[in-house]
Amino acid sequence: MDSLLDIRNLSLVFDTFDGTYHAIDDVSLSLKPGEALGLVGETGCGKSVLTRAAFGLVPSPPARITQGSVKLDGMELLGLTDRALRQVRGRQVAMIFQDPMTYLNPVFKVGTQLVDAIRAQHGGAIDRKAAREIALDMLEKVHLPNPLRQFNSYPHELSGGMRQRILIAMALAARPKLLIADEPTTALDVTIQAQILDLMAELVDDMNLSMIMISHDLGVVAQVCSRVAVMYAGKIVEDAPIREIFETPVHPYTKGLLGALPHPFRPADDLESIPGNLPDLLDPPPGCRFAGRCTFRRPECDAPIPLAEIAPRHSVACVLRPGAVTPAVAATKDLNHA
Amino acid sequence: MLKLIAKRMGLMVVMLLGLAVITFTIANVAPGDPARLAAGPDANQAMVEQIRVERGFDRPLPVRFVLYVDQLLHGDFGSSVYTGRPVARDIAQFLPATVELVLFSISIAIVLGVPLGVIAAVRQNKPIDHAIRLLSVSGVALPMFWLGLMLQWYLALDLGLFPLGGRLGIFTDVPEPITGMISIDALLRGQFAVAGEALWHMVLPATALSFPALAAIIRVNRAEMLEVLGRDYVTNARAQGIGPWRIIAVYSLKNAILPTLAMIGLRFGWMLGGTVLVEGVFDFPGLGLYAAKAAVSSDFEPIMAVTLTLGAAFMLINLVIDLLYAVLDPRVRNQI
Repeated sequence: MDSLLDIRNLSLVFDTFDGTYHAIDDVSLSLKPGEALGLVGETGCGKSVLTRAAFGLVPSPPARITQGSVKLDGMELLGLTDRALRQVRGRQVAMIFQDPMTYLNPVFKVGTQLVDAIRAQHGGAIDRKAAREIALDMLEKVHLPNPLRQFNSYPHELSGGMRQRILIAMALAARPKLLIADEPTTALDVTIQAQILDLMAELVDDMNLSMIMISHDLGVVAQVCSRVAVMYAGKIVEDAPIREIFETPVHPYTKGLLGALPHPFRPADDLESIPGNLPDLLDPPPGCRFAGRCTFRRPECDAPIPLAEIAPRHSVACVLRPGAVTPAVAATKDLNHA
Repeated sequence: MLKLIAKRMGLMVVMLLGLAVITFTIANVAPGDPARLAAGPDANQAMVEQIRVERGFDRPLPVRFVLYVDQLLHGDFGSSVYTGRPVARDIAQFLPATVELVLFSISIAIVLGVPLGVIAAVRQNKPIDHAIRLLSVSGVALPMFWLGLMLQWYLALDLGLFPLGGRLGIFTDVPEPITGMISIDALLRGQFAVAGEALWHMVLPATALSFPALAAIIRVNRAEMLEVLGRDYVTNARAQGIGPWRIIAVYSLKNAILPTLAMIGLRFGWMLGGTVLVEGVFDFPGLGLYAAKAAVSSDFEPIMAVTLTLGAAFMLINLVIDLLYAVLDPRVRNQI
């Protein structure tokens, strides 16, 4: 089956006062229709930037895409005008974000914002009354207790969970093909978090959505997604079905993330942390970016290691993967072939 | 809302009383003998003493203050020692001219300042932003009276584009007063040519007077817009596909205008008190010029009256600004 979203060799840098910051480095990622992918990694690894850059939401300058391509349903998105991108955003791709407290405009009623968004999603082709009908319908779909009342409220009059439901309603009103959920539950408390995750799983099913869910929490991702891509310092280090990530992780960073998950039958002081910090992306190491924190580090780690498949649908970028060869060895092989 | 207004009005009375105490004290400890001024240069010592007793200048300060407040409460601003005219009549004559000039000036500053601030923010660090910054820096740096003199020199004297000063040409009849503001009175009476002429006379003084306020409004609005444009709800609006014009002019500006509004209120007050230089340069018969003349001649009653009038105007403006805040921001609205 063809991919819905196909990101190929995407690199993005930020031009800062201190130099060039390599935020995304040669990332490839594809998503099939109906697939729910979790994009996991620690804060600052580039998960949000990757998904926002793909749809032209990272201000440039300071950001600059240096190479790659992003195709949605076969259409190249990079290089599109802002006007054309607006047609894509909202209508085909919807986004919801981390902190529902700050993603609604404080000085406009929820209803006004919903109606404006819905009209924009339809390219202005529907009037306010029709948009209002859709908005109220969506508010019901996300199980808000009293849609009409929430429609006429200002954001500060609503709770965090309600606001996130409103943002989800706003995002899905256009019946998009792809939903990007950027840490949608991080700012919510645990019971609300569970409700929102249930709601999202329900809507993904109902509306036949594809979804990329960004999170730093593998546990959250496991509730909704069938596949996980693990990102580290601007690169994807492992990409596999959710079961395989939990059962047979290969990359030491993935293992580290799993070790950091709390478990009901394990005392909290047994939680493992990964020592060290992200490498300096103003001057990233040429090889594996995790090498500086890795307990399995060896000399080959200082050479670039591409993401490669080790099993169907399971790719890893690590010298530890079964059958991995270092580029130096690969180069001699190529020579022999010639 | 009504409760807030009532509360603020009550507070205003207290604040005005405080203002009266301060001004009263300063005006009375400042050098200058009001009795001698009132008596005139040819009066002998006996006449001066007689006036001193007649007018109560010989009584202790606190007593005189209480008497003065009592007089105010009866709606009497007293009269000028110098001209003998009732101060209330002077203020009624001069205040509308100043209010007219200030309203015109603040309108210029708002109408130009808000959009320029927005443009500078949207085109941050582009040539247009630098050009606007040059304008706003010069607005802060150039003294108002100097700018007024230069405008008068080049545009009025050399090029003859604008009148040198005054409120109307000397051959034009002033319309029958309604508000005392000539342009508005003329409009109300359908004398459009006269209204145009009055506005024409205000262009140069208003430009000079509005320049510092324009600079301040541009700077605040630019900074606020920059901040708001980086907020999450703007990202979300963009992610929904809402057009840039609506995002900037509606979604962002309504948030950014709130702090700008506070600045506008402050500048409005400043302008009321700061008209004296501009009125002097353009021979514009307003309250500033009147107050300056009174101050120079230690004319006590006009000084007090002008200070209290301007103080009350300043407080009223700030009340209006606070109410506008509530209109624009639902979070403020819920608190009052």
